[in-house]
Amino acid sequence: MAEVIQILILGMALGGVYALMGSGLSLVFGVMRIVNLAHPVLIMAGAYVAYWAARLYGLDPLLTLPIAAVILAATGVILYKLVFEREARSAKYSEMTVLLTFALAMVIEGALGTAFTNTQRVTSPDYATDAFFIGDIFIPKGQLYAGIVSLAIISALALFLKYSRFGYAIRATTQNREAAELLGVNVNFVGLVSFAIGIGLAGAAGSLVSFVFSFFPAKHWEWIAVLMSLVVLGGMGSIFGTVLASFILAVVAAFIGAYFGATWSTLTFFVALFVVLLVRPQGIFGEKPELA
Amino acid sequence: MASLDTNDVLVARKAYNAGLVQDVSKERAYWFPALVLALLLLLPALQFTGNYNYLIHLVLFTASYVVMASGWNILGGFTGYISLGHNVFFAVGGYFAGMIFARYGISTIVLAPFAGLVAGLLGYLVGQITLRVRGPSFIISSLALVMIFRILFENWDFVGGAAGVSLKANDLPVQWAKLPYYYAFVLMAAFSVWAAYRIKHSKFGLGLRAISKDEIKAESAGINTRFYKTLAFAISAFFVGMAGAVWGEYLTYIRPNIFLIILVSVNMVLICILGGKGTIAGPVVGAVLLVSFNEFFVATLGASEINILATGLIMMLCLMFFPLGIVGTLARLRKLPRILNWD
Repeated sequence: MAEVIQILILGMALGGVYALMGSGLSLVFGVMRIVNLAHPVLIMAGAYVAYWAARLYGLDPLLTLPIAAVILAATGVILYKLVFEREARSAKYSEMTVLLTFALAMVIEGALGTAFTNTQRVTSPDYATDAFFIGDIFIPKGQLYAGIVSLAIISALALFLKYSRFGYAIRATTQNREAAELLGVNVNFVGLVSFAIGIGLAGAAGSLVSFVFSFFPAKHWEWIAVLMSLVVLGGMGSIFGTVLASFILAVVAAFIGAYFGATWSTLTFFVALFVVLLVRPQGIFGEKPELA
Repeated sequence: MASLDTNDVLVARKAYNAGLVQDVSKERAYWFPALVLALLLLLPALQFTGNYNYLIHLVLFTASYVVMASGWNILGGFTGYISLGHNVFFAVGGYFAGMIFARYGISTIVLAPFAGLVAGLLGYLVGQITLRVRGPSFIISSLALVMIFRILFENWDFVGGAAGVSLKANDLPVQWAKLPYYYAFVLMAAFSVWAAYRIKHSKFGLGLRAISKDEIKAESAGINTRFYKTLAFAISAFFVGMAGAVWGEYLTYIRPNIFLIILVSVNMVLICILGGKGTIAGPVVGAVLLVSFNEFFVATLGASEINILATGLIMMLCLMFFPLGIVGTLARLRKLPRILNWD
């Protein structure tokens, strides 16, 4: 029994990190209908910000989280202006943006690899290797802190979307772009801001990732399928769905990893992605099968 | 009033169609692809005068990408289903032929068609599953496929796991060692271009193009879209698998991190986008360009990281400014040289 609780806790802690990694992706898809395959590599970029801040100035990744978020959000604005704004009128928009973000992912991966080499990196603040003990059960501090911070950020995002006037506009655009525009929402600006927020969330997630996983530029391909499985299972565009899916899949993966070996735990996400696309392409909370 | 006989109308129609066909074929420069093929077949004669192994390798490399990109084009270009996971079939073809070669010594060149069939069969099965979804979902599912196969191959001890299997190099003198693979790839490339042409001009190909324009309308016009696109998936996997089979023996090893890296499948996609998706000459033009780019970047900049960056950058610029590719853009401007009009 203690073993089951232990695995459950480890899974939940990872689920918290995955939730933040996936929520930015979900937001960008919801508002812009962009399946951002470059999201994982932008998380990687955020992780490098945290890594170098820790390495050069000895700053704690949790402290540099806002800095990483702001730097990445600014990157998001630039990318939006340079690349995605002009694609808005493209006939095969969704397909086009997938290919574009895929190419963008390669560009960023290549840039990161050139600048920082493909060496495995990890930031190691004291808490990353420490743990709380409750009887036989241990809770790794790093993952616990990361999970808490991640849930705090997601809650703040949810409150912003629910209660602020701009949040209304974002949700309206998500539900129906044309209708929102008719009612006087500047959908272009909403698109820009939510894209920036989404990429900013990638930066924040990167700071957490920097001490939870070891990373190197080419690793983002693995994350693409992991994050896609979260977002697709939760229902593309639904942030709450993404969070729920993160916890479900992380816990399932933890159990599979514990009983069948670590290799198969990664496979959980990919197989889940496949199965969801086939059985219920709109995911748990997706309403229309827009993607199908 | 004289009534119109249906038969008369049909006969007139047929005569008119036949006239159109003649018009097109008069314009077509058949001699050009034939000349290119003849030159490529004679190229190894240079080996009598000196060492041109590097040139042979480059043409072989280009031809291998022509095979793969032409195959990819049948699904991605004609049918409009973009797959970023076609290197799975490259790996399956390579492993199937490579393992038989390692155990029984049967040359992979002989095995290539069978490896293609195995890959095609797998493509048919995968297509049954993933072609239920369209657009971005299909692209994502193809990426997931690569990840699944990578994990499977890396943990399958029978095929050597992550370390892969080494294959025996042939014992020809170094001057001629590349030639069997060279001829295999050049002939496969010619075959794949010819097959793509035949498919595009068949009723099947017309159905595929109808699917890429509007699948629902195609379905209501009586096309069995499910069967058509699954078959297109299988055929495209066939060509990619065939290329993989010979590639393994040429490299003398099969290993997941050679066959199942994303760069291989990206190159197929990028070649078609560069050259022009859905055109016959596109994959050939794209392959020549991409291999030249690659050689240029590796020669001048060296590192593979920069190669990834450059590949991504070319892909982005091409998608943003020339989404139709070179052949497609020129054709739209009506400036396509006759020698490249293979459609």
